Amino acid sequence: MNTIEKTSLATLDVGVSDATEGGADAGRRRFVGAVGAAAIVSSSSLMRPAWAQSAKLKVGVLLPRSGVQAFVGQSCQFGADVAPAVLKSLFGVDIELMNADTETNVDTARSRAERLISEGAQVLVGAFDSGASLAIAQVAEQKGVPFVINIAAAPQITEQGYKFTFRNFPTSVDLVVNGLGLARDLFLATGTAPRTAVFMHVNDTFGQANKAAIASILPKLDYLPFKLLDTIAYDPAAKDLTVEVARAKATKADFLLLVCRLNDAIILRREMVKQRWNPMGIIGPGNPGMYEAQFYAALGKLSDHCISNVPWYDPKSVVTKAIDAQMRKQFPKEKLMYHALNVGFTFESIQIVADAFKRSRSNDPKVLAEAIRQTNIASRMMLGGPIKFNAKGQVEGIASACIQNFNQRPMVVLPAASAEAKPVFPVPGYVRA
Amino acid sequence: MFSQINPRARGLLAALALLLLILPWIANNYVLSVAVLILYFAYTGQAWNVMMGFCGQLSLGHSLYVGIGGYSAAALFVHFGIGPWGGALVAVAASMLVGAIIGFLAFRFGIGGVYFALLTIAFAEFTRLGFDHWQWLGASGGFFLPVKQREFNDLLNLRGSPVMFYYVMLALATAALAFCTWLLRTRIGYYWLAIREDQQAAQALGINTFRCKMIAVLISSGMTSLAGVFFAFYYNNLFPEQIFNMGRSIEIILGPIIGGIGTLFGPILGAALLALLADGITELMAQIGIELPGIKQVFYGSCLLLVTMFLPNGVWPALARRLGLVSAPGPDPAGNTVRHPDG
Repeated sequence: MNTIEKTSLATLDVGVSDATEGGADAGRRRFVGAVGAAAIVSSSSLMRPAWAQSAKLKVGVLLPRSGVQAFVGQSCQFGADVAPAVLKSLFGVDIELMNADTETNVDTARSRAERLISEGAQVLVGAFDSGASLAIAQVAEQKGVPFVINIAAAPQITEQGYKFTFRNFPTSVDLVVNGLGLARDLFLATGTAPRTAVFMHVNDTFGQANKAAIASILPKLDYLPFKLLDTIAYDPAAKDLTVEVARAKATKADFLLLVCRLNDAIILRREMVKQRWNPMGIIGPGNPGMYEAQFYAALGKLSDHCISNVPWYDPKSVVTKAIDAQMRKQFPKEKLMYHALNVGFTFESIQIVADAFKRSRSNDPKVLAEAIRQTNIASRMMLGGPIKFNAKGQVEGIASACIQNFNQRPMVVLPAASAEAKPVFPVPGYVRA
Repeated sequence: MFSQINPRARGLLAALALLLLILPWIANNYVLSVAVLILYFAYTGQAWNVMMGFCGQLSLGHSLYVGIGGYSAAALFVHFGIGPWGGALVAVAASMLVGAIIGFLAFRFGIGGVYFALLTIAFAEFTRLGFDHWQWLGASGGFFLPVKQREFNDLLNLRGSPVMFYYVMLALATAALAFCTWLLRTRIGYYWLAIREDQQAAQALGINTFRCKMIAVLISSGMTSLAGVFFAFYYNNLFPEQIFNMGRSIEIILGPIIGGIGTLFGPILGAALLALLADGITELMAQIGIELPGIKQVFYGSCLLLVTMFLPNGVWPALARRLGLVSAPGPDPAGNTVRHPDG
């Protein structure tokens, strides 16, 4: 071997070993022994048998409690945390939560799902995000463990032929259909008929799905009086929306149809004020952002009158009242209305598995899956018909509510049966373009 | 290949190889999924190491090649029914082409160091934006590979159980290790080291630095794209905001940085350490009843800080020296003692 070879190998592969001495050798052996022992101890806990019988149902909850989606994941977690007490008091079902953080990462979501199952989780719920939910669904299918999705709108999830995956959340298409239907109800209730709209959407998975749904559905809805003048996409990480808002304003549309998330909604609303753009209103056809606590905190009075047509809890439901009370008890600083959708669907996903557990009297995952397929829950928190799944595992009949912000809090204005206030449209300060 | 490693190291290596081979029989699916992740990051770290560790070109946008690889193979599979192995050829070619464009722009016009790193980030970022709008590939709505319940492992189409994916990833990581070991013993390997240590001196010795750096970029990008192919068929869905994300690039380079940049086993050790310790700390927190979301990221940051402060060459060189895994370079045939770079 020549010099350069030796040098390079020394550099690259670690190089020099010290002259060995007896003491050093003994120390090294001790070190290796300790590492080996530690490995054996840790591996024994990792490799324990999968299932353990229990009187309680072990529910693995997978949510993005850190990373980019941490805020929403933590919001969803409230719904899981109140579930054991509420389910016990209302339905007499004992459940045990096994929480796992997906870290807003599909790799982690998958390995955490594997871990929860290996530690004895009999059902899984989660995971807010479509990508993470798909990764977990594959694990659930391989292991034959039921997985109930709390929030994830990508239609493909329930089009894969999965047998153990269920979704208690509308697809993006359903969200938009419901949202646009409520827009018509809003116009009827307020006696208005806007002729034009400009459509702005965040350009991420959710925004694209909504855009596709609107593009395919809107032309077929002849009962809506408006037409879209322009469609403007913007990056979810955008820190400035000056150009996009100026372009939207230039269309002179009557109102803004907006598919947003939280941060961009705040930036966009501020920019509208800066550019003195006061359309008849801002209507979200099925998206988050404008009813969340940070939206009110960041914008104050500017948050008022924004409208979100989203799945919402029935404020008059017994389950809602129980959850509200439990939240005030467990989390005195939090308010249900700021976590409505996240808490509602996370709780319901756990309610579904608890109901299946109660009916089947079994914690065998395959029996539970069959029981979940037969779900028919009338007493629920969210607006809509009874919870029932179709053959693909997709829930049907979830309704949306028209939520309008008043005095920096979200209030149901439609449907009338659940309304807490009357809708206001056009909003105060409207200036015809 | 490992003739320079002493018998003790060879023994340990054999034991590790045996453990990895029998792991699916002794471990549950969770351990297996963590092992797949470790192997995945060991492989991508090895690929990144070719560019940075061997040739000294810092790339902070390697997720670009993972994404291009994943999307190429997935698109060919979904739209044209071409299997992943055929798709891998296209994926490698596409990634190498992009790598060649970046490399040419940088090296032809003398962009180096931190500016080269910025260039790699920029390419990854605008590729993400492009894919966000590319409807044929699902745009930002995501691209989904069909999933079916299968009773058998279909290696040709990479459809099957986690055990099959584990062995595929193990084969890829092993092949990458062997390939990199071989690369370092070739003429180009020595040229890279010379360029990494002192580019001007290498040029003065007549080394065509442009050509050598281009080769490093091509090999690194091609290797990384294979990881993308694996990613696509393992997870069965691709989202531009996830796969091209800057965070993914950071994840790729953390293993080699912690393990030891420029070493062959550093990326493997780094990936294993990060995965096992991060999971261990999550487990520890759970055992003592503390739920701290994000503790893993804090831990990653702390590790990076500590390694940078106390083990600037990474964990592997110090560990191997401590355990006496590699023989000391002796005097060369001319009788001159070879100096260790740490010394």
